[in-house]
Amino acid sequence: MNSRVNSFIAWAAANSFLLALISGVFLAFPFRVEMPLISTVGIEGVLPFGDFVRGLHFYTGQLAFLFLLLHIVYSLRARSFERKSWFSWSLLVATFPLTVFALFSGYVVRNDEIGSSAGHIAESLLLEVPLIGNFLNHLLMAVSKEGVHRVYAAHFCISFLLFIGLCGWHFNLKRLKIWDLVYVALVAMILTVFYPPLLRPFEPDLSVLGPWFFVGIQELLRHLPPFWAGVVFPSIPVAALWAYKKYSKLAGIILVAWHVFYFFLSLVGFSR
Amino acid sequence: MKKLLVFLGVILLAFMLFKELKRKRAPQVFTTTSGRVEMCLACHDEAPEKVHAREVVGCSPCHLGNPLRMEKDLAHAGMIKNPGDLRVVEKTCGRPECHPQMPGKVKKSLMATNRGIINVLLRYWGEIPEDAKNRPEDSVEYLLKTGKNSLALDYYRKLCGSCHLWMEKGKLPDFLAEKGGGCVACHLVKGPKEAKHPVLTRKIPLENCVRCHNRSGRIGLTYQGLYEDEGYGTPYLEGDFGAETLIDGRFVRRIPADVHYKAGLVCVDCHISEETMGDGKAYNHFEESVEITCRSCHGGKGITRKGRKIPRVKKEGGKWILEGIFTGKKHELKPPDPIKCEHTVHKRLSCQACHSPRVPQCFGCHVRYDPREKQLDKLTNRETPGAWEEFRSYMRLEEPTLGVKGDEVVIIVPG
Ligand code: HEC
Ligand code: HEC
Ligand code: HEC
Ligand code: HEC
Ligand code: HEC
Ligand code: HEC
Ligand code: HEC
Repeated sequence: MNSRVNSFIAWAAANSFLLALISGVFLAFPFRVEMPLISTVGIEGVLPFGDFVRGLHFYTGQLAFLFLLLHIVYSLRARSFERKSWFSWSLLVATFPLTVFALFSGYVVRNDEIGSSAGHIAESLLLEVPLIGNFLNHLLMAVSKEGVHRVYAAHFCISFLLFIGLCGWHFNLKRLKIWDLVYVALVAMILTVFYPPLLRPFEPDLSVLGPWFFVGIQELLRHLPPFWAGVVFPSIPVAALWAYKKYSKLAGIILVAWHVFYFFLSLVGFSR
Repeated sequence: MKKLLVFLGVILLAFMLFKELKRKRAPQVFTTTSGRVEMCLACHDEAPEKVHAREVVGCSPCHLGNPLRMEKDLAHAGMIKNPGDLRVVEKTCGRPECHPQMPGKVKKSLMATNRGIINVLLRYWGEIPEDAKNRPEDSVEYLLKTGKNSLALDYYRKLCGSCHLWMEKGKLPDFLAEKGGGCVACHLVKGPKEAKHPVLTRKIPLENCVRCHNRSGRIGLTYQGLYEDEGYGTPYLEGDFGAETLIDGRFVRRIPADVHYKAGLVCVDCHISEETMGDGKAYNHFEESVEITCRSCHGGKGITRKGRKIPRVKKEGGKWILEGIFTGKKHELKPPDPIKCEHTVHKRLSCQACHSPRVPQCFGCHVRYDPREKQLDKLTNRETPGAWEEFRSYMRLEEPTLGVKGDEVVIIVPG
């Protein structure tokens, strides 16, 4: 790993990811894809330590995403991309939306009110993608026809493939320091004990919000057609990230502006 | 530093272990027949009535809370004890898949707004013009929200303020705790002991209505053959009060009850759901709202003044009958006697003018206000300065005075 990027944060991202995978394996056994919510409640309410493991999985997933964001900021500032070929940079950038998908699909899979509505919105957004929309939906979502079967497979496979790919080629697992792992695990444990993640029951009022990072898009969907709000708009930061290698200045401005805008969109969404 | 981390980690794990040992895990995931998760059922064995059976409805559609959690605190977060309370009823009884039209109607009904009482009080006390009508601010909801007060409103708050549907059940002390509760004020009855849960019913017993309808108009008392006596409890028998007492300490005496009461009919045998729950319009006075008439049943075709059908009146074998809600019997509905009731010389008489031989009347009813004392404001449940007291004297059970209203001869009662 590059010495100029912040190695603590980089490893924190990798470690959270690893912990999410490990805790995920424990959850995968009792999870039943044909009754996602029932088995999730079962994991929490019936299995010993079930809620603890689910909490760890939830928070390590969140931490992986947050540390990844930080890691990207540091790496861009350290200009570590300069030593990467366009090919490997493109691959690396592609892992970002995949990580977001891994996190997002976790919500869909648990299938409470948040997850279920997020799944349906995501499905209709995927169908908006030109040409390959139908294919993508069948690959990744299709919740309205098939429940969470496909999302679950995608959640599982993409997470593992992503991690295997990243360790093969972006970082060296042998250099993982056990104390960094302990540190991340502790943070996740503290969060789990004091702020257990709650499933949201289905309620008759229509004020359903999706996962926290999705609220901005939901808000934008109120104002723009789905293609623009749900496909073009979220692609902007990914494209800007990719272009950063060549047009750092412009891409930087776009990235900052996009996130500031997104922050306010989310604020509006949450205050509804 | 590292030691500290390990220490912290061990403590957290020990804490989790402790929590795990202490808590009781559910034996399984509980669901309703439609597959909705309902973990309330893991702890609770209450069994509501058949139409809301626990296997079908569960608990959370009515009591809210979080049905996905097994820890009591988390499960009870947002839980409410009385789903019928008008403050929450849109989310409970009135949820889209259950009774969505009811809350809106009920909130407009006179029993929720008390607009008749408030408007008349304000007018008679000269606080608003004589012709003031359709004032949205003449409602309990408005008073609760704004805290508005005046002399007439203070009187209302302290003496009448417990007889409306916004009243939170269990909030006021003593017997008043039983009053109000929104939908529950009418629809709730005690359940069987083994069910551990009260029963929601369409068969509304008399007591539920009379919990409110027992003063001023005294309809609820007179109907059952109770006459509210003066406050002496005479005649004395064996060294004690001879008269019976009501739950609030008022003395009553037995008189002949209404013919319909004797036949086992209750208020809702006559008063249909549009009159009680409201028909969606916001009325000013009960005269506009009440639609049942004597003729709807006697000599009519089971149709109210506003053209609605009375549910349990029908024609069978050439005769009109009423199926009693509680009696289950088919009561024959006799038409008014063509001579005794409908002779042309009596054309202007209302039915009651002849058919109410006695009516309780209070010639000496008056009110005293003492600004030095304090009294409970029933809307806010707080003691505020100024106390009202009602007096009854010259109570009489007599033939009523008749008067002319419009072109009709009706009963006029003081008190
Ligand atoms: C862990 C067991 C547990 C779970 C799960 C649980 N409860 Fe309770 N509940 C109790 C106990 C014990 C009481 C007795 C009163 C108390 O101690 O608070 C109670 C009391 C109540 C009461 C009466 C409150 C009162 O003020 O009289 C209601 C209503 C209620 N629960 C509804 C629910 C609903 C709805 C759910 C599901 C969303 C639920 N409960 C889930 C254990 C539980
Ligand atoms: C159809 C709606 C409905 C359902 C379903 C329902 N309840 Fe109730 N419950 C009520 C009403 C209405 C009351 C009366 C509230 C009051 O009088 O303040 C009540 C009262 C209660 C009380 C208080 C009893 C008392 O006497 O103080 C408890 C405890 C309770 N319910 C538990 C449950 C549980 C547990 C379930 C699920 C098995 C359940 N309820 C299902 C409507 C419902
Ligand atoms: C919470 C107390 C309360 C309960 C319970 C209650 N009432 Fe009333 N009711 C009132 C009050 C107060 C008024 C007068 C409102 C006004 O004129 O402002 C009223 C008015 C009425 C009226 C005339 C106005 C109208 O809207 O039709 C009828 C009829 C009536 N009640 C019947 C019933 C019946 C039948 C029941 C039982 C099923 C019942 N009430 C239960 C308080 C109550
Ligand atoms: C003042 C008394 C009163 C109140 C308050 C009241 N109801 Fe009713 N309700 C009635 C009467 C009377 C009927 C008719 C019963 C019958 O004839 O079978 C009725 C009937 C019903 C029915 C049966 C279906 C129908 O259309 O007749 C439902 C459902 C119902 N009420 C729900 C509610 C709900 C929900 C609330 C609270 C928002 C409520 N009620 C408040 C008196 C009341
Ligand atoms: C046999 C049918 C019948 C029964 C039973 C009955 N009522 Fe009525 N009620 C009527 C009729 C008819 C009117 C309208 C009278 C009129 O138009 O003058 C009325 C009027 C009322 C009014 C309007 C105020 C008034 O003084 O005219 C209230 C309030 C009322 N009833 C409440 C009740 C209550 C409470 C009960 C039960 C204790 C009850 N009624 C039982 C038929 C009945
Ligand atoms: C909802 C229908 C209904 C309404 C409204 C109604 N009644 Fe009745 N009435 C009955 C029934 C049913 C009986 C017969 C009871 C029995 O089985 O003895 C009855 C009986 C009577 C009787 C006794 C008849 C006899 O057998 O001697 C009189 C008098 C009477 N009603 C007068 C009135 C008056 C006056 C009013 C209006 C204030 C009125 N009723 C409103 C249903 C109604
Ligand atoms: C002028 C007085 C008077 C008026 C007005 C009056 N009635 Fe009557 N009604 C009587 C008398 C008297 C009887 C007979 C009582 C008896 O036989 O014991 C009677 C009998 C009845 C009976 C029983 C009939 C039978 O076949 O046994 C009914 C029902 C009745 N009235 C309903 C009404 C209704 C409804 C009205 C209003 C439309 C009304 N009455 C108006 C005086 C009156």
